Amino acid sequence: MSNQPSSNGPSSTRWIWIGIAVVVVVVGVLAFVVTRSDGSGGGSATPNGDGATPGVTVVPVGKVAVGAIVVTGTQLPEIATSGTDPAVGQVIPTIEGQTFDGTALSIGPTGEPTIIMVVAHWCPHCQREVPFLQSWLTANGAPEGVRLVALATSNDSGKPNYPAGQWLVREKWTIPTMVDDKASDGAQALGVTGFPYFIVVDAEGKVIERTSGELTTTQWEALIAAAKSGSAQPTA
Amino acid sequence: MIAAQTVSTMSFFFASLALLCWAAVVLIGTGALLGRFVSRPIPLVESLGADIRRVALPLAWLIAAVTMLGSLYYSRIQHYIPCELCWYQRICIYPFAVILGIAAWRRDAGVRVYAVPVLAIGAMVAAYHTWVQAYPPVDGTSFCTADAPCTLRYVWEFGFVSLPFMALSACCCMIVLLLIARPAPRTATTSESS
Repeated sequence: MSNQPSSNGPSSTRWIWIGIAVVVVVVGVLAFVVTRSDGSGGGSATPNGDGATPGVTVVPVGKVAVGAIVVTGTQLPEIATSGTDPAVGQVIPTIEGQTFDGTALSIGPTGEPTIIMVVAHWCPHCQREVPFLQSWLTANGAPEGVRLVALATSNDSGKPNYPAGQWLVREKWTIPTMVDDKASDGAQALGVTGFPYFIVVDAEGKVIERTSGELTTTQWEALIAAAKSGSAQPTA
Repeated sequence: MIAAQTVSTMSFFFASLALLCWAAVVLIGTGALLGRFVSRPIPLVESLGADIRRVALPLAWLIAAVTMLGSLYYSRIQHYIPCELCWYQRICIYPFAVILGIAAWRRDAGVRVYAVPVLAIGAMVAAYHTWVQAYPPVDGTSFCTADAPCTLRYVWEFGFVSLPFMALSACCCMIVLLLIARPAPRTATTSESS
């Protein structure tokens, strides 16, 4: 029955097409008006960094979006998908750069055990990890005898939550953070394959352990223990 | 600034179309259920249903074409990098921007036999991707790959509409349209016009 065309078929289907066209045009106009009038850019991409809360932070303005860095030393290999990390025991390269407010900062062998965190502003896991770690630091204080330093990499104005500096200001991030260059050379030098990324090095700058992904409190505290003891700590 | 506003406008537009797709799915599904279970057919619903069945095939093609163009807009103009899951969805949708066009031209509703299974696979991948973007995995191994992470929300309209959600909407709407499609035979149109 429904296979048969209705008597007024062509004209009634024409109205369906006209109706669809009108709806699409109305939606298009609505999209234009809504996104141009409120100035917020809707809900997609690049939430801006206005409203940054001043506070105790090493990235007080976060105005530097992409840094200029100098890498010296041997690049770390990427983490192996299975087995031992080939970078363990290797001295990390030295990266000279600056924080989001232009202060000089160095990542490399510094004479004290160090945990290097690599984060990307657009990565949802980093967006959860940063407040998690900051909350831990606020509650427990900076770990004694372990230097904490971060590298904000993969900075891309076309991706959400840009620029990274203003995101970290909003999170009241207190860890000294270097801004990577446009080519993410700093991250490449550290063999970074994913975010967030953690590298634990001893006082001589030799890699003790590397890991990628969101950490639990136990895993984070195990990294601190590894930095203090000079060897990777079991988390189970 | 202008580029950011443009992508916002386009995202709002595509997200609204995605919601309209769901509205169509609900309306068509309700209409189909009414037609099946109500003993006394409602003339208006029956007449409208017949008309929708006749336009369903070209409409499904239109959705496939718009989905493909939207996808290309984000990757080629806005330079959003498609992740692995995005590519699977593209594989399941892009061919139908051509295939459904040919089927609509030939009034060949039998294309559903080939199209629906592929679109269903695309819908499943899109549903999983939508879930991953809405709720990024929280276990210890969750991380973003440096190049094209599946969890990255390039678009997040109305608090829940992401790019894979749009793909899911398009797939589901196309499936429903293909299932109800009853294009008028070409000969019938000829006789009507004569």
